[in-house]
Amino acid sequence: MQTFACPNCGADVTFRSPALPARICDYCRTMIVRSGDALTMAGKAAVLPFDVSPIMIGTRGRFEGAAFDVIGRVRWGWTDGSWNEWLLLFGDGTHAWLGEAMGHYMLLREWPLAKVESQLIRRLAAGDRIAVGTSADVEGRQLTIVDARNATCIAAEGELPFTAPKDWTIYSVDLRGADGSAASLQRDGQEANLYVGRYVTLAELAPVGLRRIEGWQVPAYGA
Amino acid sequence: MAPEPLVSAAAEVPAAKALSCPSCGGTLNLKAAGYTVSVACLYCGSVLDVANEDVRLITEYHRQAAELEIPLGTRGRLKGVEWEAIGYVERSEGGTYPWSEYLLFNPYHGYRWLITNGRGWSFGEMLTRTPEAEHGALWLGREDYQPFFKEGRAQVDYVLGEFYWRVRVGEEVRTDDWVRPGFMLSREQNGQEVSWTRSELLAPREIRDAFGVRAPRNPWPPLPHQPSPYVGDMKKLVWIGVGAALFVSLLLILMGTGPVLFRGTLPYALDGTSRTATLGPVTVTRPHQLIAIDAEAPGLENAWVDLDYALVDRKTQASYEAYGLAERYSGRDSDGDWTEGSRSATVKLAAVPAGTYDLVVDYSGQQWSGGSTPNFGIAAPAETLQITISSGAFFPGNALIALIFLLLPLLFFVHRHVKFEQARQDESDVGRTGVAKLFTSSDDD
Repeated sequence: MQTFACPNCGADVTFRSPALPARICDYCRTMIVRSGDALTMAGKAAVLPFDVSPIMIGTRGRFEGAAFDVIGRVRWGWTDGSWNEWLLLFGDGTHAWLGEAMGHYMLLREWPLAKVESQLIRRLAAGDRIAVGTSADVEGRQLTIVDARNATCIAAEGELPFTAPKDWTIYSVDLRGADGSAASLQRDGQEANLYVGRYVTLAELAPVGLRRIEGWQVPAYGA
Repeated sequence: MAPEPLVSAAAEVPAAKALSCPSCGGTLNLKAAGYTVSVACLYCGSVLDVANEDVRLITEYHRQAAELEIPLGTRGRLKGVEWEAIGYVERSEGGTYPWSEYLLFNPYHGYRWLITNGRGWSFGEMLTRTPEAEHGALWLGREDYQPFFKEGRAQVDYVLGEFYWRVRVGEEVRTDDWVRPGFMLSREQNGQEVSWTRSELLAPREIRDAFGVRAPRNPWPPLPHQPSPYVGDMKKLVWIGVGAALFVSLLLILMGTGPVLFRGTLPYALDGTSRTATLGPVTVTRPHQLIAIDAEAPGLENAWVDLDYALVDRKTQASYEAYGLAERYSGRDSDGDWTEGSRSATVKLAAVPAGTYDLVVDYSGQQWSGGSTPNFGIAAPAETLQITISSGAFFPGNALIALIFLLLPLLFFVHRHVKFEQARQDESDVGRTGVAKLFTSSDDD
């Protein structure tokens, strides 16, 4: 953990993960990028619109036996709605994303695209547009494209593996398997990233430090 | 004083976000802020787009909102979790078979559906897994679902409240449904996506306790996923029957041959002469018991022995009488060798009181001369009859009658179950299967 003074407002900004380069100041929303001990400012992040997500920065939980902390979030929007992607930092320094949409959760980890043999994924990564409903074997999972759309970054907070400027637009493809496995391919111009994992329930992550929402009882595991 | 950080980590956040309807100006409290994409105004019915920060009017209406059985904003506890009704949709198959769906929300548990056609209520959850087809059924893990409705078309007729998708009156999806007792699995497909919902039939009491609405107790015809109320009774009776049969078998094994009271032999000859012999004493001590008299003639061949028994109480001279016959024939005909009859004869006397008895046996043996079998010539030599008197033997006949009495209510429940299943399955697009089909007579069709 490293703490610096925000180059814009002087407030303390803490980097919990040594591997992540970007951090949004909790006070002035300046996007701070570090390289070594040098901090640079990369514009301002938009204010997050109000939502009733039960998760917040600081929520802790466990996934398949490994403890994690929620340290960042990107909120994406598209023509018909929006969703959250929460950044989870695990004890071993690795990170994963917890996608939250329509009350469902997906826990995905980045998967090295270079090693993926699936033609479907290779074509998507290369920029092809493939119809929803197309299925393929992806790293031993039978996955079907359920959604493909342009998504725009609405806002972000906390620590991130990249800067997330407002109005940053990517092409996002969601895939799903019969057994609850899931994957997401995100393309930004020439660059693509693949994330693979599965659907999870909040109860299964047994999160603590959930956000308290007025008038609702926090589940026993999340108090 | 340090400024408050702007991150999400506030102590407690409000549960709703207020916005005003661009059409009527009414204040709407968004309950699922961040998830909700469209809202049908609770005051004027106008459909608004709230996917982005600015609220846009999609379709303007000026009409009184419908009075709902569960007013939006009502909270109720179902399956141990509190839910708030935030959206309402009326749907139908092109105007027929209307039903209603309430969208339930809890920020910690996501969304559920409350579905009713006026005859019952179901609690539905959208699946993140996809059922798999095998052997004509659909499998969701270890649960199998049978086809029920095929290729339906469901349209949206009316909306009110908030939704996590872009809701539109007139929107149509293709639907298919599968059932297992108590549960329904529904598939909905539009041009872009397929979604699966699993819903559980709620007991009238559950929905009344949760949201204060009444559901009919025994809707007729039954709901597609209504479990037959007779299955439990049938199972119970079958288990009682199995238990009783096991008990009877045990009794037969334990008591089939009771304690031997007397064993003796009687000489006989196959000459047709009547003989009398007295065997005893036979002493029995229980107030009442069954007495079995077994006669065995080991050498009997193509002959019979008539046995007239009288069990006579030495004190009172009360007599209990019975008749037995040991007979055995054999021969050879066009079908080969054959034998008939038994060399032993057992008779039973019920409810013999305690006392000391003599058994008086009148008996006569006779050679069979009516057959054409060549394998006997002169009359067989004299032989002996072995007589065994035992007590406590069990009447299997009584057990059989008891089983028949168990069977009668079972038949009644089977009949009711079949009628229930037939009425339930007659509502489906698949027709009758299983017992409902098995018991379909030709004039039923």
